[in-house]
Formats: sequence, structure tokens, C-alpha cells
Amino acid sequence: MNLRSTTVRFAGLVFLFQIIAGAVLLFGLGALLRSQSRDDAIRAAETMRADLLGTYAEGGTPALTTAIEMRTHRRIERSAVLFLSDARGQARAGNLARVPLGLVPTRTYVLMKVARPGHAAAEAMFLRAARLRDGGMLVTGTVVESERQLFAQLERATMLALILSILFAGFAAFVSTRLILDRLRATVATLGSVRRGDMSRRVPRDGASDAFGLLEDEVNLTLDRVEALNAELKLATDALAHDLKSPLTRLQFALESVARTVTEPAAQGAVDQALAESERLLVMIETALSITRAEAGIGRENFTPTNLAEMLETIVEIYAPMVEDEGRAIILDVAEPVEVPIHPQLMDQAIGNLVDNTLKYGAGTITLSLAQRGGCTIISVADEGQGIPADQRIEALSRFTRLDHARRGWGAGLGLSLVQAVAHLHGGSVELRDCAPGLKVAILLDSAPLDTPLRDTGPRGRSTRSLSDGRKYLDG
Amino acid sequence: MTQKILLIEDDPTTADFISGGLTEERFTVDRAANGRDGLFLATDGSYDCIILDRMLPGLDGMAVLAALRGAGIATPVIILSALGSAEDRIEGLTSGSDDYLVKPFAFAELLARIRLVIRRGHAAAAPETVLRCDDLEMNLLSRRVQRGGRQIELQPREFRLLEFLLRHVDEVVTRTILLEGVWDYHFDPGTNVIDVHLSRLRRKIDEGEARPLLHTVRGAGYRIGAQP
Repeated sequence: MNLRSTTVRFAGLVFLFQIIAGAVLLFGLGALLRSQSRDDAIRAAETMRADLLGTYAEGGTPALTTAIEMRTHRRIERSAVLFLSDARGQARAGNLARVPLGLVPTRTYVLMKVARPGHAAAEAMFLRAARLRDGGMLVTGTVVESERQLFAQLERATMLALILSILFAGFAAFVSTRLILDRLRATVATLGSVRRGDMSRRVPRDGASDAFGLLEDEVNLTLDRVEALNAELKLATDALAHDLKSPLTRLQFALESVARTVTEPAAQGAVDQALAESERLLVMIETALSITRAEAGIGRENFTPTNLAEMLETIVEIYAPMVEDEGRAIILDVAEPVEVPIHPQLMDQAIGNLVDNTLKYGAGTITLSLAQRGGCTIISVADEGQGIPADQRIEALSRFTRLDHARRGWGAGLGLSLVQAVAHLHGGSVELRDCAPGLKVAILLDSAPLDTPLRDTGPRGRSTRSLSDGRKYLDG
Repeated sequence: MTQKILLIEDDPTTADFISGGLTEERFTVDRAANGRDGLFLATDGSYDCIILDRMLPGLDGMAVLAALRGAGIATPVIILSALGSAEDRIEGLTSGSDDYLVKPFAFAELLARIRLVIRRGHAAAAPETVLRCDDLEMNLLSRRVQRGGRQIELQPREFRLLEFLLRHVDEVVTRTILLEGVWDYHFDPGTNVIDVHLSRLRRKIDEGEARPLLHTVRGAGYRIGAQP
């Protein structure tokens, strides 16, 4: 469990507040009741004392003795404690045997445990003593034993309630965290499947207008906008394709019809070259469009489950004679058959581009490999040539850039960009790695489940990111 | 008997070039400049092949194709499209067309594909076990190839390539047709990858023979046949 995670913090906060609220409620109530009961007991004792002192002032000791006896015999105030002693401490009247040990005349009531005659056990009582003029002692008070026992029970109940409230607080924290996660899960899952190409997916709305509802609305509106922009881009590239290709078609037809009739060798060479150039122009336009569309995620609707091992086998077979004629070898390194949904045509083209690249710029044996590591399918093409220096690898993936040693060659530097665009279309990335000697270009296809954290797929951070965080797959 | 082709294409220049080229190749060509006229002509049903532009004013090419197939007309259809991206190609092929060509294309490529789809329509239903061309013989069951009694050892990939060629004797097959037909590979590597395959095959079949069977067709592709 990550203590820095927002959900854990939130759960902790909910838990803490629940505990505090429970404790305040339970202990506060106890304290309130206790002080209320103490006040009541003292007030009753004080009324009685004032009454008796009045009697003493009027009739002296005999009147007081009679009054005390009357009160104790009436047994109306069961909880009342009364005691009158003479100057030597001998009992004159009252329901105590003697002045309790340690009780001295004070201005306040003290809580003591004293055994009354006729009672089995000592009881808690509030007592106050007063010295009379004749040297005797008047003790007044209230027994609070039953209250004391009640409070003890209340305390036990409070502890039990507190323990329960801790459990409930933990449960509440768990449930509220789950609720948040559940509310967010739909949004995360929607964004994940949109990233993987299902542009029509939206977060289901239950009509709640809370913060989550706002987030869901905003996510859906953003996705609408992205989808609209994507559709516009598709339209624009379609139009561009049409506008560029129609004249190219006419050019090609014109050249072809000339090629069929021309007989002069010099003219034939020129026409052939013109045809080759127009074809090259076509390939460039086609590739540039493919890159743009793949980067925009157009084409995911045509993903088909494809056996990648068979696909690589086919590519090896197609290129083998050509590679052998160059005095090199092409081999296949497949650990297990892997079937994943891909865009077969674009993947054919991407891998074909990689093999073409090593034919043009690489050296030694070409190895096509297929592996699965950590939920990731890795298709790679490696050679034994001079590779690409580390500081030029990001540049190598950019559109229309060609590294110095390749500048003489054919093409417009779109090969690796297309490979990268195709990888992105499949939710993956491309890595270039030094094999010492040689270059290994790997296409990483992420087959991660829906609830894993989304990767940053921003166009800027992407190439550097894939170069750094993908390295762990290759080093293994 | 001349074969009749219906060309449904709105761009007049492209249509002129295609129909001009096809007439030169002794096809009879009818033209329609929009989907509605095209559909009207196509329902006649007497065509050997229909060439259909993907983007048409009025009725879109895919809609024309859907209407044709809906009406039970099985005439082979080749779709032409400026939309090169592979996803449109898949859409075209899954919607009932027989082939799909991306603009701009070489006329030779179109011609080869027209002949291919027309022949496919007339192909014998019975599966063949022995393919022949002149004195070259391929037994598909024993997987033996011989020419005039001489045994020819072929690698599996060469066997498949030769099998495809022998199923299209005397037809021009282009490099992309071979890539698609033999390997189901939909990307033209642009280099002479296919030429190397063919020259190896040629060495095994034609070397030392008086009459070569495997011919290169300039600007188009290859053809296997007894005729030079």
C-alpha cells in the first residue's frame, strides 16, 4: 500500500474523523452526565444541610438531634447521609456509625467510600462536615453509589462502542475509498479503450451532478472533441490523398503510354527514369499519409488477430533470396507462437521497412525475433552493422530526417517514422538499441489489461520515454 | 470474342487513359461518369469485369458495389481508390469486391488484375492435382516438379511461387500480385526482392533449356508460358 496515494490518504482521513467524532460523542456524554449527577447530589445535600443548620440556630442541639432522627426514621431521602456527634465524637443521631476517618470541616464536598450501618458494603458518597458551637460535628451528604456503578457500566459500554466505532470507521473508510475508485474506474477504463482505438467509447453517466459527474462530463466532451478532430483529419488527409494522387495517376498513365510506343533507346531510359521517380513520389506520399493516419489512430477498426510468428516467417521467406544474394543471412528467432490483434498490412509494412533498412544501411546476419516479456509482445529486427549512435537515435525516429551516412540513399527518411507510427497505432512504442555490434530495432506491443495505469502517450514525451523505460525489456 | 468492361470513373482524364489502354488491349469498354449511371449499366449483367472508382459524385462506389451484390450480380469488380491507406483496402475487399487498386497505379498492374479476376470467374471448379506448362509439370500431391523428364528440386518457397505461376499460365502477373497471391503480403518492398526469387526459379527451370518458359514482361512483371 502506497502511503502517498490519494485514496489511502482519503481513507485515513475518513477513518480519523470517524474516530474523533465517536470519541467526542461518547466521552463527552459521559463527562456531562457525571458532572450533572455530581451537581444534583451536592445540591440535595446542601439543601438538607442549610435546613438542619437553620434548625440548630433556632433550637440548638436538641432540636437538631430531633430533626435528624425524624429525617433518618422517615427514610424518605434514602440517599441522604446525616450524622451528628458530640464534642467527644460520640454519635447523637444519624445514619452513620461515627464521623468517617479523615473527614474534617471544609467548604466543599469530598467523595469518600463509607460503610453505613445496616449496609453490606461501603458506598460512595459526597460528604461535608461542619463544627458546631458545642464542639459537636454535623456531617451531611448524599450516597452516589448507584450512580457510580451506572457510570462504571457506562464507561464499559463507551469502550465497547469506541471499539465498534473504530471498526465502523475502518469499514466506512474502505467503502468510501471503494466508491471513489469505482466511480473513477469507468472513466479510466473508457480512456484506456479510447487510447487503444475505440474512439466511440464514452463514460457511462448516471446523472449525478457531483465532482465525479463533472469529471465524467468533461472527459466525454473532450473525447467528443478529439473524435471530431480525428474525423476532420481523416477527411483532410483523404482529400489531400485524392488531390495529389489524381494528377500522379494521369502522369503515370501518360508516361506508360509513351513507354509503350517509344523506341529510341535514349528516350526509353528517360521515360523509365520518369516512371521510377513518379513511383517514388507515390511511395513517399503514401507513407507520409500512412504515418499521419496511424499517429491519429485511424485504422484500429481493422485490427485482426494475427499469428505474428507466421507473419515473420513469411517476411523471412520473402527477403531470404535477396539477403543471401548480398552474402548475408536472415534468421528467425521465435520462442513461442503469439497471436495478437494487429493491423496486418501496416505491420507488414513496418517490419518490411526495418528489413529494408538493414539491407541498405546494416551488415551481417539479420535476426527477426518475437518474444513476450512482462505483458509486452516484442518484435525486433537486429543486424550486425555499425548501428546508430545513442545520441542520434531519437532523431532517427523523426519524420523526414536521415542520418548522415544514409543521406545518399533512396527514400525520404520516413521508414522509421512509419515503424514508430504503426507501433503507436497499436498502443506500443519503438526502441533502438545497440547490440555491439549492430542495431536492434524493437516494436513493443503493449497487451496490458484495462486497469493498469495509463502511460503517457503525449507526442512529445513519447520517443524519449519509450527509449528509457523500454530498455528494461531489452536488457533482460 | 471480345470481353466487355464497364468503367465507372468520374475523373475524365483517368477514364480516358484507362479506356484508351483497354481498347488497345482489345477490350470493349463502356463508361459511366457517376454511380447512378454505372449501376444502371451494371445491372444489365453482360460485363466480364467492372472497374469502379471508390469516390464518385452522387452514389458512392461502395454503395454501388453493395447495390450490385444485393441485386445478385456476381460480375467481378475491381475498385480503384485514391484512398491508399490499408484500412480502405480491407474495407474494399471485405465488401464484396474482387480486387482493390490504389491510385496511382501502373496500367500494366490494372490490366494484369483485370485478366486475373476474369479468369478466376471462368476457372474450373474441379481441384487440379497436376499443373502443366509445355513440358514443365508440377504434381501437387507428390510435390514433384519435372521438366521433360528432368527432376527439379525446389525449396518450399520456390514451389509455392511456381505453383502460383502455373495456375496463371500465359497471364502477366505483377510483383504485387505475386506478393499478395503467394505470401498474402500487402506491402511492396520497392526493391527487387521479387526479382531475385524469379531469377532463382528461372535458373532451376530454364537453364540449359532451348525454350525458356519464364518471361519478364517489361514494365509489368512476369509471365509463364511456351510462347516467347
